[in-house]
Amino acid sequence: MVAREIAKGIFWVGALDFDRRLFDELIPLPEGTSYNSYLVRGSEKTALIDTVDPKKEEELIVNLIKLGIEQIDYIVINHAEQDHAGSLPMVLEMYPRAKVVTNEKCRDLLVALLQIAPESVMVVKDGDTLSLGDRTLRFFLTPWTHWPETQITFLVEDKILFPCDLFGFHQATSELYITNEADAYRSAKRYYAEIMMPFRNSIRGYIQKVRDLDPAMIAPSHGPVNKNPKFILDAYAEWVSDDVKNVVVLPYISMHGSTQKMVDHLTGALIQRGVDVKPFNLTHTDIGELAYSLVDAATVVVATPTVLFGPHPQIVYATYLANVLKPKVRFASVIGSFGWGGKAAETIVKMLDHVKVEVLEPVVIKGLPDEAALVALNRLADDIAKKHKEIGIL
Amino acid sequence: MDRYVCTISGHVYDPEKGEPRLDLPPGKAFEELQNDWQCPVCFADKSKFVKA
Repeated sequence: MVAREIAKGIFWVGALDFDRRLFDELIPLPEGTSYNSYLVRGSEKTALIDTVDPKKEEELIVNLIKLGIEQIDYIVINHAEQDHAGSLPMVLEMYPRAKVVTNEKCRDLLVALLQIAPESVMVVKDGDTLSLGDRTLRFFLTPWTHWPETQITFLVEDKILFPCDLFGFHQATSELYITNEADAYRSAKRYYAEIMMPFRNSIRGYIQKVRDLDPAMIAPSHGPVNKNPKFILDAYAEWVSDDVKNVVVLPYISMHGSTQKMVDHLTGALIQRGVDVKPFNLTHTDIGELAYSLVDAATVVVATPTVLFGPHPQIVYATYLANVLKPKVRFASVIGSFGWGGKAAETIVKMLDHVKVEVLEPVVIKGLPDEAALVALNRLADDIAKKHKEIGIL
Repeated sequence: MDRYVCTISGHVYDPEKGEPRLDLPPGKAFEELQNDWQCPVCFADKSKFVKA
């Protein structure tokens, strides 16, 4: 790869991972990803901000060597997760005089996850500064914007914010900066859904703090650099707010067609009532897209057939994931069909313990939907439309 | 006595049950827990709890 200057004396020295297709062995990466590491040269000292995934550690080292970097004084670690801190042992081996700079919680995690020697870490507190000579780094602790130790680093004179995972997105691109904000919005929203959504309430408290810094540039640890911070700050403000949209997310599975018929009927009934619907057949759904749709949907209706007295395991998986991602969804229901018995609806409703939802009466029927079942689905569509009207989104 | 829920992990502190994994017996109100008390699931600070 190749180091690139984002401002005079400040270089992107990370790695692009065009090939990576899965993150955490869980979330698909349709656009690959990047691990951004930045080098900041001051008149007296040189700092590296975050590292790269260890599988790309050689690229980081080569970037530094090609830039002629003979000494690194500080390695700022904003987040202990391995895709950013994982090359720290290698960088420390190459630059043994460097001091790791991070907060106390992050130090403890670096010791546990990467077996970094605690004495190599210089601990900083919220608001502390570090002089590089003519440049100053300032650290702000932002716990629970993903992990308990997450912090952000601000380069005071150049007004560049290095927020690590916050405000970034998974994309490998040869473009150094965001060039198309509409595309970036989509990628960033998906990333927010997958990584940041469970910490919506914590993030909300930090947005104004970041606005007050008035950054000229945001240099995140995934994806291209952002020269228009207002764009991403406004987007985050919208996502972390309590506002929901007139949308029903409808994840479903159908084994023999009965649940499919119910999904089709409910979809039509909701459209007729002016409610937007996003059905997701989980047999071929990218779960990142499902998470994306949950960012601001008002309602989720889970549609499941019955397997051995309970919901289909694919539905259980998606429901578990939706629950831990803690979307701001307000209403939920379950529809589905069974052959000889079961308690699929109760199982699904019990799984939604992390989201504060009002449960609308489920529609669970025996076999193929008959006229009465269709009437019941119309009733559910009426209930949803009524609820959406009550909160002023329809 | 009120139950409190951790806004990070969703863990519920129920004073009637106590915290078996912290050897905390039942009967102590959330308000009486020390300020450095942490969520036994995610170790978030006490301040991250809200009334359930």
